[in-house]
Amino acid sequence: MKKLILIFLGFYLLTLIQTSFLIHFNFGWQLGVFLILIFVAFINFFESPSKKTGIYSALFAGFFLDIFSTTPLNFFGFWILIFLGVSLFIKFILRKYVRVPIIKTS
Amino acid sequence: MKLSPKFKIGIIVVLLIAFFVILNLIGFSKGVKNLIYLISQPIQKTFWKMGDEISDFFEMISEMRNLKKENEELKLKIQELIAENVALKELKKENEILRTALELGLQEEFKLEICQVIGKDISSDTILINEGFKDGLTKDSPVITQQKILVGRISEVYKNFSKVQLITQKDTSFDAKILDTEISGLIKGEGNLRLFLDLIPPEKEIKKGDVVITTVLGGIFPRGLLVGEIEKVIKSDIEPWQQAKVKPAFNIEGLETLFIITEF
Repeated sequence: MKKLILIFLGFYLLTLIQTSFLIHFNFGWQLGVFLILIFVAFINFFESPSKKTGIYSALFAGFFLDIFSTTPLNFFGFWILIFLGVSLFIKFILRKYVRVPIIKTS
Repeated sequence: MKLSPKFKIGIIVVLLIAFFVILNLIGFSKGVKNLIYLISQPIQKTFWKMGDEISDFFEMISEMRNLKKENEELKLKIQELIAENVALKELKKENEILRTALELGLQEEFKLEICQVIGKDISSDTILINEGFKDGLTKDSPVITQQKILVGRISEVYKNFSKVQLITQKDTSFDAKILDTEISGLIKGEGNLRLFLDLIPPEKEIKKGDVVITTVLGGIFPRGLLVGEIEKVIKSDIEPWQQAKVKPAFNIEGLETLFIITEF
């Protein structure tokens, strides 16, 4: 539960940073647009495919992005669905095609 | 009946989409958004201000590279504007002079050509003007100011320039008279911007401050042009004529724009 609250607050702050702070900077490409997507992908990559933290991250990230940014057709839920899709896709790829070698120590 | 995992995922996706469509339709998101905006406003403001200031700072650093170039361009622009301003002031001055000449009716009385003084040689009582035979000037044409003050006459004409012999030059002499009287005499140049009125009948009364103007006698200058004023009357028992020192009406320092009378 504590972990979920932390993820919730973390993505809340990240969304605010993306929509209110990074929007001022132009590095030739808009880093801000991808910040939350990078974090969601990062969490999903580095956790075990069987765990659910990545899914919750995608849900919270999508929720806040739906609130604070403009979505196509002004459809609430657009980013939630996109991030959920990304999260599930990463988990699927990791489960099916990636084998992490485990070094057994005796 | 056991459902396959793919089918389960499909149902979940469809249900989720349906859920969000319903949320959008009932306008639920508006209320939620409003509440979250209200809570987030102070944080958003802080982030916005920070982002604005920091991006301004970085922008300033990147802009500094262009500042030197921009500064040089602006300096050039200022110089161009100053030059333009000077040209406009010159035009304004010329316009004012022409207006004064127009008010005095010079244009009606004579055919005039405007010119600028480009050189002065006080030691030989000559000035150089920027008009020549290309502009229709001829030798001996009278040169006056916009106040109808006689300055001299053209002594040499070149293609684009002319030399004007001031009335104060030593070789110059012409007929003149005292304003509002019938007292006439001969104005002679003494050199060094000095004039002398000679051949005044001894019985005529002249005094300091009397104004001397040109007459038509001799046909060198048109009548009524201001020459100067009597500075000192010289009477002598041994001389058959009265004489007077005349102060020229023109100010050599202020001579800039002049008029040449091409026909009178």
